[in-house]
Amino acid sequence: MPDTATVPRPDEQDSELKRSITGRLLFFYTLGDVLGSGIYVLIGLVAAAVGGAFWIAFALGVTVAAITGAAYAELVTKYPQAAGASLYVNKAFGNRPLTFLVTVSFLAASMAASGSLAVGFASYFDTLWSGPPALLVSLVFVALLVVVNFIGITESVWMNMLMTFVEVAGLAIVLIIGIVHISNGDADFGVLTQIDTSGDYGSPALAVLAGISFSFFAMTGFENTANVAEETIDPYKAFPRSLVGGMVVAGLVYVLVSMAAALTVPVETLASSDAALLEVVKQGILPFSTDFMTTLFSIIALIAITNTTLVTIVTQPRVLYGMAREDVVPGIFAKIHPVRRSPWVGLIFSGIVVGSLLVIGTLVTEAGGGIDLVGRLATVTVVLLLAIYAIVIVACLKLRGQDEDQPFFRANTPLLFVGLVGNLAILYFTIYDDPHSLIWCAGLLGVGLVLFLAEYFFGSRGTGSQTPDLKEV
Amino acid sequence: MHVIVATDGSKQSLAAAKHLKSFADPTKITEISVVAVIRPLASVAFADDTSDSKWPSSGSFRDAADSAVATIAAVFDGWGPKVNKRVRSGSAANEIIKAAQQYDAGLVVVAAGGRGLSDSVLVGSTAQRVQHYAPCPVLVVRPAPRKKR
Repeated sequence: MPDTATVPRPDEQDSELKRSITGRLLFFYTLGDVLGSGIYVLIGLVAAAVGGAFWIAFALGVTVAAITGAAYAELVTKYPQAAGASLYVNKAFGNRPLTFLVTVSFLAASMAASGSLAVGFASYFDTLWSGPPALLVSLVFVALLVVVNFIGITESVWMNMLMTFVEVAGLAIVLIIGIVHISNGDADFGVLTQIDTSGDYGSPALAVLAGISFSFFAMTGFENTANVAEETIDPYKAFPRSLVGGMVVAGLVYVLVSMAAALTVPVETLASSDAALLEVVKQGILPFSTDFMTTLFSIIALIAITNTTLVTIVTQPRVLYGMAREDVVPGIFAKIHPVRRSPWVGLIFSGIVVGSLLVIGTLVTEAGGGIDLVGRLATVTVVLLLAIYAIVIVACLKLRGQDEDQPFFRANTPLLFVGLVGNLAILYFTIYDDPHSLIWCAGLLGVGLVLFLAEYFFGSRGTGSQTPDLKEV
Repeated sequence: MHVIVATDGSKQSLAAAKHLKSFADPTKITEISVVAVIRPLASVAFADDTSDSKWPSSGSFRDAADSAVATIAAVFDGWGPKVNKRVRSGSAANEIIKAAQQYDAGLVVVAAGGRGLSDSVLVGSTAQRVQHYAPCPVLVVRPAPRKKR
């Protein structure tokens, strides 16, 4: 008689075999994802808003983000599936329209983030080779990442780790420059307490809040670690340590890097630069030729931005796939390439939406729209993610007492309230400061609505999980 | 002989399993391990096209892998050899090769390639790597040419 074994054999070390993401890999995944987004791109904006003390903005921003990370860690250890925020909101509120809104917001945030990063990529690329127009560079960059993702090169955990090391190395260069500068006795520490109140923000508190709002893009990315939740060994231990630990390390690096930047470069120079950290390297404080250092640093920055953008481009088709399987967007997004096993329709769609953002943004800028595309798209990401973060914290609190039969990480409750208030305060300020970003948010959410309506009117129920035509086999 | 039947959730991998059953002698096979590999960093870590499985709202790729493995295992129901279901995690080719070493397999069965462009343009597939590095013979089941059907 056949013996179809459903129980794993005892000689197989099951937990070891079945999952492949260790705590250490998870830590580097978090760190790489967070570090790449923003610090290379946005430090100039933050410096402009706050003045020499802009490290405070990074410190406070990362605190709010790390608390949010703790809420994620609690939820991920309770519900270790890949769907992230959508799943938590669904569990907590069981309201389909709300779940849909959160899912689409997450997708939109991810797309805006890809756009912002692609523009940032182009501005660093410009320092290496200023021939091609920035729009072309960013479009080619996005297209290449889509292809790379389709083929599946992105799946190497070692590649991910290597890129994270390079990212950290880039920031370490900035730190070393700062230390050398200090030991040469050239540093004026007074700059670290200067808050610029002469600009748009009259009071120090508002200036710092503005800085947090601009710097917050650099704190995002940790939510993507839910992607690998299901494949993490011992998530109960690994998640709190790696996620919150990754955030704390990222925060420390940010604060030190901002201090180093403020000490070595005049704040006005940082504020007016598109690739602000490059200015630190250009000061010629290290005994290497400035050209060499600039090139090296640009390459490192490009790798860092690529690492983070890759994760966003992996996430978008995944979200679309999940929604298609649930019949809320057309079933075509659940199509998997028969050989590469990639959701190719979703990938191409993501590429097109991000590309359109870049084209529209460039057209608006050239038409005298007076926007800074990196900043605008980053703001859109931040607005959407802050709303999601706030809802996730509420979901975390609401789900207390449920599904607690398995061991799970419990985040500190008063801290969660602090995090909730922090997220909402930054959200309020960000919208207040740049209300036009809401138009962009609405535009991106509109894409989700169009997909929903397409499925509602033209889709047939069950296409997402339709029985495959087995006769083809 | 211990035979490993790999599945990536594709219909072709189901065809490969059926192909093995169509010619192999069940009395010579002691055990069959159906192995699926989840790719944690991929956009879709595992997709099951072999069965009419319902997509859970939690979005569990592990459930998808379990269901694909169950579909393939069902092919061998009542055939003779003991059938194990295994879900692993990591890089597909590596995990299949590791499984072959670990279970001391005598044969690995994989499905390979699609028809046409994708097959000729995109080299470096899982099947190729398994062929190159597996510690035992490999049966690569290719899709039938389209015009014959």
